[in-house]
Amino acid sequence: MCLRPGLKAPDFEADAYDPKAGELKKVKLSDYRGKWVILFFYPADFTFV
Amino acid sequence: MAAVAAKAEELKNLGVEVLAISIDSPFVHKVWNETELSKLIDGGFPFVMVSDGAGKIGQLYGVYDQEAMVNLRGTFLIDPDGVIQTMEIHNAPIGRNFNELVRRVQAAQHVRNSGGTEAAPANWEPGKPTLKPDIKIAGKVYEVYKS
Repeated sequence: MCLRPGLKAPDFEADAYDPKAGELKKVKLSDYRGKWVILFFYPADFTFV
Repeated sequence: MAAVAAKAEELKNLGVEVLAISIDSPFVHKVWNETELSKLIDGGFPFVMVSDGAGKIGQLYGVYDQEAMVNLRGTFLIDPDGVIQTMEIHNAPIGRNFNELVRRVQAAQHVRNSGGTEAAPANWEPGKPTLKPDIKIAGKVYEVYKS
């Protein structure tokens, strides 16, 4: 599959940490329907780029 | 990560939710925030930190590096209908520009709010003229750029 603008963003569900609430939670992309969302991938914690 | 956090207020004002995603567990995210990010960023990291342990989300979006077993620096802007509007992927050692990220959100929102009647041309910023796609502007786009 090749993603491009104009296509639906693939849905996913995953564990997450919410630093503001200080708690673990589940995140499901489709729960954000109706909002603008940025998916911000980065290699690993404790790195500096 | 501190650089994107510095844009948190602007992104929040634009109504954008950010999901930061790496292969680290939620526990590592917690410790990173507590031991380091909270010392760089007032109030700690402002966005939800998603755990993509096996790189499954990264594989869905084509940013997972199988050899390094990490996600590359992918940025995907998704509209309220769940449709991708912009995407870019940097190799791991190359950092992003968060002024450009904010500009990109502004351009995508402006286009959407116009109901598809306007397009944001190259280097567009809020306040600058947009293009209104129409047969009449064929050959006259320079007039917009000169204005």
